[in-house]
Amino acid sequence: MDSWVIAMMLGASLFLGGIALVAFLWGIKNGQFDDEKKMMNQVQYDDERELNDAANQQRKKESVNKKEEYRPE
Amino acid sequence: MSKVKCDHCHLEFSDDVMIHDGEYRFCCNGCRGIFHLLKDEGLESFYSKMGSTTLSPPAEQFEASSNFDTPAFSERFVTTTKEGLSQVSLVIEGIHCAACVWLNEKALHKMEGVIEAHINYTNNKARITWNPADVKLSAIIDMIRAIGYNAFPYDSSLQEVRANKERKEYYLRMAVATFATMNMMWIAVAQYAGYFSGITQDIKTILNIAEWVLATPVLFYSGWVFYRGAYYGLRNHAVTMDLLVVTGSSLAYLYSIYITLFEKGEAYFDSVAMIITFVLFGKFLEVLSRKNAADTLDIIGKHIPREVSIVEGESIRSVDVNEVKVGDVIVIRSGERSAIDGEVISGEGSFDESNLTGESEPIFKRIGDRIISGTTSIDALIHYRTTKDFAHSTLSNLVNLLENAMAQKPSIEQLANRLSQHFSSTILFLAIATFWGWYFWPHTFDRSLMVGISVIIIACPCALALATPVATLVGLALGAKRGILFKSAAQIETMAKATMVVLDKTGTITQGRPEVVYATIHTPFDTGALHTLVSSSKHPISRGVMEYLERTEEAIESGTIEEAREIPARGMVGRSNGVMIAGGNALLMQELGIEVDSVSDKSLFYYALDNRLVATYELRDLPKEKANESIDSLKKLNLRVVMLTGDHEAAAMRVAKEVGIEEVYAHLIPEGKAAFIDKAHAQGHIVVMAGDGVNDLLALAASDIAIAMGNGSDIAIEVSDVVLMNDSLTSLAEAFSISRKTYGLIKQNLGISLVYNSITIPLAMMGYVIPLIAAISMSFSSLLVVGNSMRVRWMYK
Repeated sequence: MDSWVIAMMLGASLFLGGIALVAFLWGIKNGQFDDEKKMMNQVQYDDERELNDAANQQRKKESVNKKEEYRPE
Repeated sequence: MSKVKCDHCHLEFSDDVMIHDGEYRFCCNGCRGIFHLLKDEGLESFYSKMGSTTLSPPAEQFEASSNFDTPAFSERFVTTTKEGLSQVSLVIEGIHCAACVWLNEKALHKMEGVIEAHINYTNNKARITWNPADVKLSAIIDMIRAIGYNAFPYDSSLQEVRANKERKEYYLRMAVATFATMNMMWIAVAQYAGYFSGITQDIKTILNIAEWVLATPVLFYSGWVFYRGAYYGLRNHAVTMDLLVVTGSSLAYLYSIYITLFEKGEAYFDSVAMIITFVLFGKFLEVLSRKNAADTLDIIGKHIPREVSIVEGESIRSVDVNEVKVGDVIVIRSGERSAIDGEVISGEGSFDESNLTGESEPIFKRIGDRIISGTTSIDALIHYRTTKDFAHSTLSNLVNLLENAMAQKPSIEQLANRLSQHFSSTILFLAIATFWGWYFWPHTFDRSLMVGISVIIIACPCALALATPVATLVGLALGAKRGILFKSAAQIETMAKATMVVLDKTGTITQGRPEVVYATIHTPFDTGALHTLVSSSKHPISRGVMEYLERTEEAIESGTIEEAREIPARGMVGRSNGVMIAGGNALLMQELGIEVDSVSDKSLFYYALDNRLVATYELRDLPKEKANESIDSLKKLNLRVVMLTGDHEAAAMRVAKEVGIEEVYAHLIPEGKAAFIDKAHAQGHIVVMAGDGVNDLLALAASDIAIAMGNGSDIAIEVSDVVLMNDSLTSLAEAFSISRKTYGLIKQNLGISLVYNSITIPLAMMGYVIPLIAAISMSFSSLLVVGNSMRVRWMYK
């Protein structure tokens, strides 16, 4: 039975580590580490207004995509 | 008067000069405008975000933003995305702090039609995506300018995008490899402990499976670059290091799976992950320090004027250079660079042709003279008629020649590459021989295979793969500390092998500006007036006299001069205390009716009071400090030192004699310099060329290693492989010694890893290697190589 404990612990810790790794990879791919100076200052620009602004931009982007789709020409 | 902060830029001024606007204070109208704009837009939190940084007050003048909407502009800089949106890359000028980035992004996001504005704080580059149906680019630019910044377009070339993508890909692969290898290490600790103190088979299998899970992404995701490299190597019939890495790790991986499934022996998963991780890091270091020729050409393109002002009747219109036809009339103002060849039809003034000819003296142009593209007007406002179109002008030709030269730049094979080929085939051969040896010396298939694989693993290419990059990194750091910037690591090795060094005269051996070497005072006079007279001119000769006066006279009282004016290509005249004063060359003196003896190979500056000669200064371009010793030490390194110059024979010979160069070729055009280097190549020389001007460009591009002086022209710096920041010849000699030391280090490191292998491989062939030893030996050999490189770094601190 001991061996199952080890297997479970190994599996659990590797799984947790894996999640962190995937998050890190996502960050790299997303360009979050491209700009080291901006990254360090990012915490200053992280309030409600920034979220609203980001949501606004997202909406703008989507509206453009939709327009493209619905255009019959 | 107390100092008050401007409410926009936060610079401090005394209160009485400020613009008072209610409770606010501004240093200028520009700041006030921006402040109110931000307030209206609801962006005033910018000021609390920027903290204690100060901004530079906005500059007033801007060229019209409408040229951002022209088809020529959009063809060059604007790309269209899949969704039909436009995208442009800009460099934003005036970014001081993170709040500036925030402000620009917010202000642009608020605009209708701007889909995305992304600004990189580190390099101030912005990528803006907008919907051309809703907003024009000029409006976006106007917004950036309105809030106090400025924007310039730049070509985000494919090369740059690709380089960034490649780097990012490496980051991903390294992240995976590092994560997996580090986790594997603690599993391996359990394995090794079990190996020595006993472990039950089921626990061993669990550990093996965990390692298997971890090793798989390392081998197939992180190690993909090696599979790719090995494949391309095989297609070119070459046994590469990649092939060795791939065979070793794949075989070990397969073998370990077999071990895990059949529950016997020791698995090698940790070695697999370690090999891939180490070698991947080595490869990444190589990628980091690689230079792209195509990027250089992009930057050269930026120095070519893209627009010229054409005169059409009364009006002046700026048009794209490609639209200019032969016979059009172009106007050139002072400070502008000509893009197209032509002939002056009105106006006169001096041109700086040092770009093309290397002559430091400005050339005076008047009606009928030829204008060469690429030269800059110093003080001339002239109209000229084009005699060629842009594509056939001197400047375009030069760029074309340059492109060819850079494409054909010889590449010298690196020692490590050559070595690794032999190394890889030898190891593969030994491994196969070991396998068959054991198999026929009756052993089981399992055992023989394991020993064969252990040979490949122990012959770990880690140390070999790290030997060159680590050593070159040390070399780069040593150079950087002394103001020697090697742009690409691979060039250090080439430079160490160089047999010939070619130096340009003006600006490389000499200081590039004339200095007074001899002064004859015929009648004592007041130097103050002369000083004021020469300081009013930017001509290099006047500068030289001015510096001389400042150096020799203890106290110069500035004289007052009335009616001072410069006579192009002659000198300056003026009036001081009722006395007519004149300073200039022999021509000026003759026109004033003064007899002068003008026979000298140096530049002469005469000074006359009331048409009477009072002083003569002899000026020439002197060699740099310690030029002599530096040339000597270059010669001691067994280098053939040659001097090339566009200057005339006599001047060249004199400088050469002073610094101790025997081989001199004078009166060379830029193509001639390049031809000389090609000839040297044909004789089997590896040529290092040091120069500073555009006239050296072709030669720089043709040479194996191009060295530019830090204050040379931007283009020369771009084309070069090494930049000497302090311009001195001493650092040239130092660059050679650093590169030779680094090359020595590379050889040592390669030696260490080879010696290491010659000890461990026989052990492996005899079958003494277990996974623990393989892992330790791998780390140890890598540590040796890194440690050896660090040793050099400490020694030359």
